[in-house]
Amino acid sequence: MNFQVYNRDLCVGDIRVIGVASSSLLMVGDTQTIQLASIFDTPAESLIIGPFVPLTPK
Amino acid sequence: MTLMLQRTSVVNYLKVETLSFSSILEIGDATYTQGFSRAIAIQREAEAFFGYEADFKSYSTFTDPIPIPPITETISINTLQLNPIIKVQKIDVIGVSSSSILQIGNAKHISMESRVDHIRHLLSNHSDDK
Repeated sequence: MNFQVYNRDLCVGDIRVIGVASSSLLMVGDTQTIQLASIFDTPAESLIIGPFVPLTPK
Repeated sequence: MTLMLQRTSVVNYLKVETLSFSSILEIGDATYTQGFSRAIAIQREAEAFFGYEADFKSYSTFTDPIPIPPITETISINTLQLNPIIKVQKIDVIGVSSSSILQIGNAKHISMESRVDHIRHLLSNHSDDK
């Protein structure tokens, strides 16, 4: 595959961001490679109903 | 592979309120960037802190491998810089957290990973209140 890129004028006004979190990336620039991986888990077992005792993982 | 580190980033105004938990604000170029964050996020219905509670090892969220699909096709990239400047007037960020990165400049390779296990802990049934 041949991928031809023409970078012409790139001009941005204002960027307003509340938060960049959990291994996220906010970038002004060029990159050759980016690799992002994420796991967010809320399994059924993670809804605990009962008295407050410390976590006792299986 | 074509080298793409050619454009210059110009940001006239940058404001960051908070940088926390191993986050980085980088002005300039980087060759290799790697970020990794893990969190056990426990929400309790009432305030209760026990300090050390659990090991990351005991949750599959933190031990399961994340497979990266391989790139099988060979791609030839040709980039032409007709205007080698990226201009941004203003950046206003409130928070950068948990191994995140805010970079003004170029990078070669970036790899980021995040693993979060979210747990909710409620008190016993109080639905008979009525």
